[in-house]
Amino acid sequence: MSVLLLLCAAAAYAQNLSQRGFLETTGFFFPQAASDDSAHAVGSALFRYEAFYKLTNLRFAAGIDARTDTHQQTSRELDGLWWDRTRQRPPLSIRRFSATYTRGRLTVEAGKQLIRWGKADVLTPTDRFAPRDFLNVVDSEFLPITAARINYGTQANTVELVFSPRLTPSRVPLLNQRWAVLPAGVPVHELEPDFPGGPQFGARWNHIGGAAEYSLSFYNGYDHLPLFRIEPNYSQLRADVQRYYPQMRMYGGDAAVPVGPVTLKGEAAYFTSTNPQADDYVLWVLQVERQAGEWSFVGGYAGQAITANRHSLGFSPVRGFAESIVAHAGYTIDVNRSLAFETVVRQNGDGVYAKAEYSQAFGAHWRATAGAALLRGDPKDFLGQYRLNSHAILTLRYSF
Amino acid sequence: MNKVIIGLLAIVPLIAQDARQIVEESQRRGRANSQRYEGVLEVVGADSKVTKKSWQSVRLGSYGNSKAVIRFTAPAEVKGVALLVVNHPDRSSDQWMWTPAIGRDRRIALQDRSTRFFGTDFSFEDLEERDAQQYEYKLSGEEAVAGAPCWRIEARPRESKTSQYTLSRIWIRKDNYVPAQYENFIKDQPVRRLEQKDIQNVQGIWTARTLEMTDLRRKSRTILRLEKLEYNVPVKEDEFTVQALRREQ
Repeated sequence: MSVLLLLCAAAAYAQNLSQRGFLETTGFFFPQAASDDSAHAVGSALFRYEAFYKLTNLRFAAGIDARTDTHQQTSRELDGLWWDRTRQRPPLSIRRFSATYTRGRLTVEAGKQLIRWGKADVLTPTDRFAPRDFLNVVDSEFLPITAARINYGTQANTVELVFSPRLTPSRVPLLNQRWAVLPAGVPVHELEPDFPGGPQFGARWNHIGGAAEYSLSFYNGYDHLPLFRIEPNYSQLRADVQRYYPQMRMYGGDAAVPVGPVTLKGEAAYFTSTNPQADDYVLWVLQVERQAGEWSFVGGYAGQAITANRHSLGFSPVRGFAESIVAHAGYTIDVNRSLAFETVVRQNGDGVYAKAEYSQAFGAHWRATAGAALLRGDPKDFLGQYRLNSHAILTLRYSF
Repeated sequence: MNKVIIGLLAIVPLIAQDARQIVEESQRRGRANSQRYEGVLEVVGADSKVTKKSWQSVRLGSYGNSKAVIRFTAPAEVKGVALLVVNHPDRSSDQWMWTPAIGRDRRIALQDRSTRFFGTDFSFEDLEERDAQQYEYKLSGEEAVAGAPCWRIEARPRESKTSQYTLSRIWIRKDNYVPAQYENFIKDQPVRRLEQKDIQNVQGIWTARTLEMTDLRRKSRTILRLEKLEYNVPVKEDEFTVQALRREQ
């Protein structure tokens, strides 16, 4: 009898538990040496495991990343397990650890989680709770944040409130590596970053209509991308650089509307700051989307209008990719094989990024991806500054 | 003699049935408050290479006023990818796809519904329910499918219905009113054929447990087997929203 009960309990447990993960190894191969980085190959490995457990009104999610690489992009010390503010990637980090409570129209999730806002694909100005790992500027990954998220509404109208007690910054390129382009002949020393202490808050209303969807969003907190304080250090004959994260307020909106044979998506946000060094600006994206047969296509324009230019030095790929034509195309060869192409071309022609990728699955668990990325342009352009970073990528992933 | 007359009288209404009545009767017999199954898929490419996938499907309601969630459970790399289909009696369905790897949901626009669903031979449109009110029907003959006598009916979408298909031929079995086969056309060219086999009585509802979709242009096919099929299971309305797609992972 007790064996039967145990079996029943095990079956119920198995029904409520789901898990997934992968082990991925990636090789980047750079034909050209960069000024501060002569390495031609970088290898990395990432193990990701996520588990979900479901009770009647409660759901629990937990996930962990374990990683290493050959180029000191991952720290060799066990820090950054929860608060991801370290310079290098942490070797072990909690990706998910949250509890979700649902009752009728109300959903509350608290803990470490990924929060994505916006509808556009080529650039998402309203995606304010989604810092990224920019150690490789053109191959970035979203970082989770610690937050409480309240969602209330029906399928048609939803209000979402997000509170995050502490900023999770985007990870910026390491100064001694090829994705940080520094002025020649000036030794640079990086000081401890000046992280803000305050919380962040956001609200979003989303409407799903018969044909169109649209949202309005508001954010008050800090920019997860830094500005730099630069002080000449005459005694050491170097420049001391310190990252800081200015206060930011955002008013945004996004919409998706089918128009004839395509879906038109737009997203725009106005950013303002109480910080006297931070710019006020508008970022906007207009894109069309279409899937036909085995092809999918997304193409559009990302624009920027600076309403108050404070001429500060910062690192912002989000703004760096603006004023560009951006396109992505995918082709499914068959159930196991696919091709993907993406490109970013600056409107003034000063910078171009193009990537082609071939991916193939083997059996139920393995996938290999091979690709090549081309970067060209004027050294003064955001994309052009990485003109020595064209590369080939080879990825092998085992999913379970 | 009386029995023969009564038998003949019983047949008369069937003969008199028009195509719409047959389709409506077929849908009436298939109605359930909800349905749940585990789908095991085999995608057989033109080169005969077989790829296996599986999903869980939950549906609330029936034809014309139903909602369904399909969530992949295998292969591992697509585990958690989900599709929400909200069917309407008066227009085409709404569909959203949730991709956990990028943490985004995306509405599948009407004009994109002819795309294949995650490498299977089912298009997004094939995953929605066909409500009888959205089509014009014509009885075009009688024909046996796999030895079972069937009515052959032609269905053309009404103006309110956006469809990649200009015409569908449906073979409905005379013995249990289960559709045995669909053949879908684009501009008079057959493009997809769905064969419904292994018909069993599940909780009083005659149901095809094996669905075989053939893409006639690519010459590939997907076999979907419905396992652990149950009708009238308890499901909540709030499991069928975009928010729930995200919540369930």
